[in-house]
Amino acid sequence: MSEAKHDIIIPDIIPELERGPLWLRQKRRFSREAYNDAPIPPRGLHLWRYTDPAAFVVDRTTSSDTAYHDNYDVIEKVELHNLSEGHLSGLVSDFGGREIRFHGFDRLRDQGIVVTTLSEAVERYPGLVERYLYELVNAGVGKFEAMNGALWNDGIFIHVPDGEVIEKPIHLLREAGSSDSAQFPRALVVVGQNAQLTLIDEYGGGAAGNGSGGSYSNGAVEMFGLPDSRTRYVMLQRQSSVTTSYLTHRARIDRGANMLTIALSFGGAVTKQNFGVTLNGPGAESNMYGLLFGSGNQHFDNHTIHHHASGQTRSDIDFKVVLRDRAVSAYTGLIRIDRMAKSCEAYQENRNLLLNLGTRAETIPELEILNEDVMCSHGATIGPIDPMMVFYLQARGIRHQEAVRMIVSGFVSDTLRQVPRDLQERITGFVTQRLEHI
Amino acid sequence: MKNRKAVFSFSDIHVEVEGKEVVKGVSLAIAPGEIHAIMGPNGSGKSSLSNALMGHPGYEITGGEAYLDGNNLLEMEADERSRAGLFLAFQYPLAIPGVTVANFLRAALKSQRGPEADMSDFRKLLKKKMAGLSIDESFATRYLNDGFSGGEKKRIEILQMSVLNPKVALLDETDSGLDIDALKTVAAGINQFHDETKGILLVTHYQRLLNYVKPHHVHVMIDGRLVKSGGPELALKLEESGYDWVGAEAGLKAGA
Ligand SMILES: Nc1ncnc2c1ncn2[C@@H]1O[C@H](COP(=O)(O)OP(=O)(O)O)[C@@H](O)[C@H]1O
Ligand SMILES: [Mg+2]
Repeated sequence: MSEAKHDIIIPDIIPELERGPLWLRQKRRFSREAYNDAPIPPRGLHLWRYTDPAAFVVDRTTSSDTAYHDNYDVIEKVELHNLSEGHLSGLVSDFGGREIRFHGFDRLRDQGIVVTTLSEAVERYPGLVERYLYELVNAGVGKFEAMNGALWNDGIFIHVPDGEVIEKPIHLLREAGSSDSAQFPRALVVVGQNAQLTLIDEYGGGAAGNGSGGSYSNGAVEMFGLPDSRTRYVMLQRQSSVTTSYLTHRARIDRGANMLTIALSFGGAVTKQNFGVTLNGPGAESNMYGLLFGSGNQHFDNHTIHHHASGQTRSDIDFKVVLRDRAVSAYTGLIRIDRMAKSCEAYQENRNLLLNLGTRAETIPELEILNEDVMCSHGATIGPIDPMMVFYLQARGIRHQEAVRMIVSGFVSDTLRQVPRDLQERITGFVTQRLEHI
Repeated sequence: MKNRKAVFSFSDIHVEVEGKEVVKGVSLAIAPGEIHAIMGPNGSGKSSLSNALMGHPGYEITGGEAYLDGNNLLEMEADERSRAGLFLAFQYPLAIPGVTVANFLRAALKSQRGPEADMSDFRKLLKKKMAGLSIDESFATRYLNDGFSGGEKKRIEILQMSVLNPKVALLDETDSGLDIDALKTVAAGINQFHDETKGILLVTHYQRLLNYVKPHHVHVMIDGRLVKSGGPELALKLEESGYDWVGAEAGLKAGA
């Protein structure tokens, strides 16, 4: 099956390539050509050692982008409730860009904050969109980034003007389609000088897995933090267990800007995710937390990049993985510090907890540190729960199963503390659910 | 043999660690209300005995019997031993990152009381017990033993004992790492816990704690065996003269 996929190219005549003004159509066409010209990355090549790239090749002509799953309504209701309770600033429901619904943005609009479709943004804010779209996630990053660049339908544009502060999160619900569907969600986010934003980017839905075909999603997120801005980005992957998912997130933050990235992964069959932040001015700081809990036959492959392009910048990653059943995870964490980027601090930690035999975790720290004037450390652990910890809890009367649950909950608790309030209950629920029948 | 008068008794216990026998046939019976002390030089097997009795997976009991309040201890898992009323204050308590002292103790107490139990008194109980041991309230929300000093860990062990209120407490080197004020506080906690129904076994290298918690019986352990037993005066003699003479008397080398 993967052999046949070599032949799949993006055809010349499809509606996506005709969308937008000339500059955008050119970018789409360029992306299409780059995709068609690029071979499927060979296994064993950097970042493809642990995941078969053929999984991410889909035939656009035979995959629909229209069919949706019913249980979508439930989550939208939960989040609409959160919105009405005041836990959210606004809610966006994105059906692969084919349909995008906006809820509760009247107040933000009065503040001058723009939350709209990319197609509308291209018309109304041409300068801003042309400057930033494709700047970070483009054909140069890789074949599947080129694929999104050609095929995204419509996307979400958020602009927080200089000095504006959004206290409560904006929540994006990105819904994968049902059987045999392919989605290419895209978002562009610009956070102005001294501005502040919390964005929750939730990927849900997907085929039900009752014997019919699976679903596919390939997302691209570009974020810009202008000087002294503060941005919190929370990615949640909870797609169905027959969804193949690819996501590339890239952010660039300027002088004095701060970015917090929280990547929470629970769903999907095969999931490959890239999170990258470039620190582009002195005083910029990026913190990343990852939490991944795999069960069943789930396969996760994550890559993070902290690129220190400027001196006097600081980055920190804490990526935690819990696996049970036959789940597997690979984590590759790159710290790159440029030659001229002096006096940087960069830290990275990846801890993997394997709850039973049959799970597998890989951890690959990558350091490209091109000057000596840095403070840098990285660490990784892979192993089962410490039986001495279990014994300690048992020695106080706590039963084995509950002891394991408490230790795993403890393992993830620092990360959960970072999660915005409107999500906390659901995330805790995902963890608890995965700790059943241990 | 089951000792009917004793709240806790064990006989001819043998313990292996990594294939090596470190406890070589130890017997003891503790009647309700009694405080016993096992003293002995480092490496004599005191912690191995305590850990094995609690059900530590690294310490294998290869022979002997143990009964707690009529229950056959060695047939039980560690959590069952605890729920049957046994408590061990560890010499080296482990840190449990991400689990707060309060959540840990609530889960422990709930498992002792049963799933249906009313826990509405827990906060008040914890607050009271913490105050009694001069433990700052902030410890309730700190992760268990995570970054605690040696002395803080020992106090938290005693806090656990007084919240869980077991029938029998084994206290392994609970005095080590405590300054004199902390020692007095911890000793007061132990004395408050003690009543005519409880059994206490103090395991210690020094007799320092025994100035504040008075044992009825003192036993000396050397090289995996109890080689001498006596009253409280034995502890004082050991303090003055060390362990060598007991070893010589028993025809053994006392070791460190
Ligand atoms: N976890 C362990 N692994 C290997 N050897 C151990 C372990 N625990 C105890 N021992 C050995 O068992 C013997 C008794 O140690 P221990 O019970 O700790 O003595 P005490 O508590 O009297 O100082 C010593 O020789 C010690 O090295
Ligand atoms: Mg010891």
